[in-house]
Amino acid sequence: MTAETTPALRIAGLAKTYRLGLTGSVTRMALAPLDLTVRRGEIFGYLGPNGSGKTTTLKILMGLVRADAGAVEVLGLDHADPAWRRRAGYLPEHPYFYDYLTPAEYLAYAGRLLGLARGEIAQRSEELLRLVGLSEARDVPMRRFSKGMVQRLGLAQALVNDPEIVFLDEPMSGLDPIGRHLVRNIILDLRERGKTVFFSTHILPDAETLCDRLALLRSGRLLKVGRLDEILAIDVSHFEVLASAGGPELKQAAVAAGANLTGEMGERWRMHVDEQHLPAVVAAVSAGGGRVLGVQPVRESLEEYFFREMGGNTARDPWALGD
Amino acid sequence: MSPAVSWRPLWLVLALAPLVVGAQREIDSRLGRHRATEEALFVWSGKAVRLMAPGLENLMADLYWLRTVQYFGGQRVFDRDKRFDLLEPLIEITTTLDPRFELAYRYGAIFLAEPRPNGAGQSEAALRLLEKGAREMPTSWKVRWDAGYFRHLFLDDPSGGARILLEAAQIDGAPYWLRTLAAAMKSKAPGERGFARVLWQQIHDEAEAAPIRRNARFHIDYIDSADRRDALQARVERFHATQARWPQTLGELAVEPKLLADVARVPFDYDANSGRVTISRRSPLWRLERWKAL
Amino acid sequence: MGTGRLSRIVAVAANTHREAVRERVLYNLIFFAILMILSGLLLGQLSIRQDEKIIKDIGLAAMDVFGTLIGVFLGVSLMSKEIERRSLYPLLAKPLSRDEFLAGKFFGLSFTLFVNVVVMALGLYATLFVTGRSADLALLKAVLPIYQGLVLVVAIAVLFSTLTSSALAAVGTVCVVVAGRYSDVVRNMRDVVPDAPAWLIEGLYYAMPNFRNFDFKNRVVYGDPVSWGDLGFVTVYWLLYLALTLSVAAVAFRQRDFQ
Repeated sequence: MTAETTPALRIAGLAKTYRLGLTGSVTRMALAPLDLTVRRGEIFGYLGPNGSGKTTTLKILMGLVRADAGAVEVLGLDHADPAWRRRAGYLPEHPYFYDYLTPAEYLAYAGRLLGLARGEIAQRSEELLRLVGLSEARDVPMRRFSKGMVQRLGLAQALVNDPEIVFLDEPMSGLDPIGRHLVRNIILDLRERGKTVFFSTHILPDAETLCDRLALLRSGRLLKVGRLDEILAIDVSHFEVLASAGGPELKQAAVAAGANLTGEMGERWRMHVDEQHLPAVVAAVSAGGGRVLGVQPVRESLEEYFFREMGGNTARDPWALGD
Repeated sequence: MSPAVSWRPLWLVLALAPLVVGAQREIDSRLGRHRATEEALFVWSGKAVRLMAPGLENLMADLYWLRTVQYFGGQRVFDRDKRFDLLEPLIEITTTLDPRFELAYRYGAIFLAEPRPNGAGQSEAALRLLEKGAREMPTSWKVRWDAGYFRHLFLDDPSGGARILLEAAQIDGAPYWLRTLAAAMKSKAPGERGFARVLWQQIHDEAEAAPIRRNARFHIDYIDSADRRDALQARVERFHATQARWPQTLGELAVEPKLLADVARVPFDYDANSGRVTISRRSPLWRLERWKAL
Repeated sequence: MGTGRLSRIVAVAANTHREAVRERVLYNLIFFAILMILSGLLLGQLSIRQDEKIIKDIGLAAMDVFGTLIGVFLGVSLMSKEIERRSLYPLLAKPLSRDEFLAGKFFGLSFTLFVNVVVMALGLYATLFVTGRSADLALLKAVLPIYQGLVLVVAIAVLFSTLTSSALAAVGTVCVVVAGRYSDVVRNMRDVVPDAPAWLIEGLYYAMPNFRNFDFKNRVVYGDPVSWGDLGFVTVYWLLYLALTLSVAAVAFRQRDFQ
C-alpha cells in the first residue's frame, strides 16, 4: 500500500562540497542543499549545463559520492537500505564495461550481483540485447565496440533486473540519431509500464519531448522544478506571425505597423507582434500582397528559457533578429 | 541516507595492529637465529652475484657491504654468537663486485684480524684481503698502510710491516709520516706497547668508519689500562719492598681512586696473596687482556 | 542476506580472475618464470655436484620474484582500472557494497596467484623429474610461504589502489614490498645510523610487512627441518597482517568519492 503512495524518489537537504588539493583546504561547492521529489511513473528530466551538479547528484544517489548532509529515500526505502538497489537501475555517464567481456557475459555478471537466478538472467539478457539492438554482437568482446554500442549495453545493464526506477546519466550521449530514437522509445515504454525514469541531460530537445516534469540546475543550485508548461510561461500578450511573399516594401510596412522581425526563410517571414499591433500588421501584410500563414501566442522554447535563466555571457535576446 | 561514512573497520585496524607486532616478535624469536646465516649463505661467490645482477654490481656490493656492517660491526661488536666464518665470504663478495671499495678492504681486514670474540682471529686472511686490495688499487696507500700495521700488530712482524709502510710512502699523495713510522717500526720489538698505542692512535684519528674508530679506541683504552695496571703493580711491589707484606687491599696504596680502575672504569682485580694486579674479568677490556696473555 | 553477500563476493572474484586470465601480459610473466625454472636445467649442468640445489634455488626464486611482479602488476592494474575507467560505477549502484567489492577483488586476485604458483610449482617439479631427481614434497614448505607472501603483496597493492592513482599505487606497492624484503636491514639500521631514535626504527620494523617471514627457500633447499610450528606462526602473522591491510583498505575505500 505504502509502495503506491510513497514517491519514487525523495531528496531532502542533500549537499556536497568537494575538498580539493592535498590538504583539502580548497573547496568547491558541488551541490547546495537540494530538495526534490519524483513521483512514481513519471519521466523526470534533470537539466543543467555542464558542471551544474547533475552527475554529482546521480553519483550521490548511487552511493559513488558521499553526501555531506541530507536524506534520500528511494521507492520509500532509506538510502542506506540496500534493498531498493535490487529494484533500481543506473546508467553512468560515459560508461565503460570491461573490454574483455562480451555483452552476454556482462549482463550475466550484473544479474549475479543483483541476485537474479541463472535462468532469469539468460532470458532477460536475451530480451534486452534484442531491445537495444545488440543481439548480433552478444558474443563479441566489447573492446571491438563503438561508443554507441557501449551506450546501448549500458542501457541494457540498467534494465537487467526490470527495475521500478531507472537513473540515466546523459543517456543520449554518444548515440547516433537512430540510437537516440531507440533510447527515447525505451524511456517512453518504461513509463508505459509504470516505471519511473530519472534522467539527466543537457540536450534540451530530448528533455522537451520526453519529460513529464523537470528540474533545472545551475552551479549546484536548483532553479526550478515543475511541468514543462509551468516552467515555460506562455506569453499571451505577444504573438508570432508567419507570413509569406512580398517585397522589401512589405517588410517596411509590417515593421512600421509594429512588427519585430525575428527570422527570414526564403519567401517566409517570421515576426513577433504585440497584441495591440496585431490587426495593423496583418492588414499591412495583406495590403502588400503577402499572406499570413499563421498567428500563435509566443511560447518560449526550453532553449530560450535556458539561455535567459543561465544569463551571463551566453545570454541572447530571444526577440532579437538574427545573431 | 547516512551522509557520514562509517569508520567501523577502523576498530579492526586498531585491534589488529598490536597482534601483528606480537606475531612478528614470536616469529623473530623462532626464526631470528636462521636469518643472518640464511641470507649470507644464499650466494657464496661474488662472481655469481655479478652474473645475477649485471649492471648493478656496485649496488649489490653496497647491499652486501650493508649486510656485513650490520652483522659484524656497529653495536654488535661484542655480540656473542657471531658467525665469523661468514665474514670473509661477505667481504670477498663485496670486493669482487666492487674491487675499488677501499673501506670494505680496510674494515674487513680489521675484523678478520681481530682476535675472537671481537673478530674472526684470521690475521692471515686479513693480510690476504689487504694484498688483494693493494693489487686492485695500485694508488691506495691506505690499504698498504693498514697492511704494514697489521703485520706488526697481529703477526708480530715489525720488519715486514716497515717494508710495506715504505712501499706505501712512495705512492703519490701518501703522507710523509709513513716513512717516520716505518723507520720507528723497524727498531721496535714485537708487541711494544707504546708504539702500538701510536699506531692505534693513528688508525683512530684517520678512521673513516665508526666501527674502525671504536675498535681502535678499544685498543688504546686497553693499552692505557695496561699502563695503569703496570703502574699500580709497581706501587704494590714498592709497598712489598718497604712493608715486607702485600697490601690487604689496593686502598692501602694511597693512590688517586681513579687510578684503581681501568679506562672502562672497572676496578682492577687484586689478589692479596700473590700481590698480582689484573684487569677485571668484568671489564670489557678483559677480552684483549686474555688475548695478549695467550 | 549472508548467502547473497557471499555470492556477490564470489561473482566479483570470478570476474577478476577472468580478467586476469584474459590479460595477455600475465602470460608473458608466467612464460618467463617457467623459462627461468627450465634454465635451472642448463645452469645445473654447468656446475658439478650442485645441480639439484641450483634447480631448486632458481625455481623457488623465480616463483618468488615473478610471483611478486605478477602480484604487483595485477593487484594494482585490476583494482585501479575499475576506478579509473569507471567500470566500478554501475556495479556499486547494484546491491554490492564497497567492502564486498574489495573482498571480491582480493579473493579473485589471490585465486589467480594460486593458479600461477601451482603452474610454476608444477614446472619446477617437472624440471626435477626430467633430470631424474626425486619429487621432493618438502619443497612445498617453501612454496606455501611464498604464496602467502604473494597474497600479502596483492593486499598491499589493493590498499594502495584504493588510496591513489594506478601509477602512484604501483610505486607505493613496490616500495613497501622491497622495504618489507629488507626488513632486517631496517631493524639493524642503528648499526649504520647510530643516532636514529630507537622508537622510529622499531616502529618502522613492525609497521612494515615482514616479507622475510615467508622466506624458507634456503632452509628447505638445504634440507634444514622446517617445523609446522614455524609455518603456523608465519601463517598467523600472515592472516593478521592481511586483515590489517584489508581493514585499512576498507576504511580508505569507504571514504572515497568517485568524482
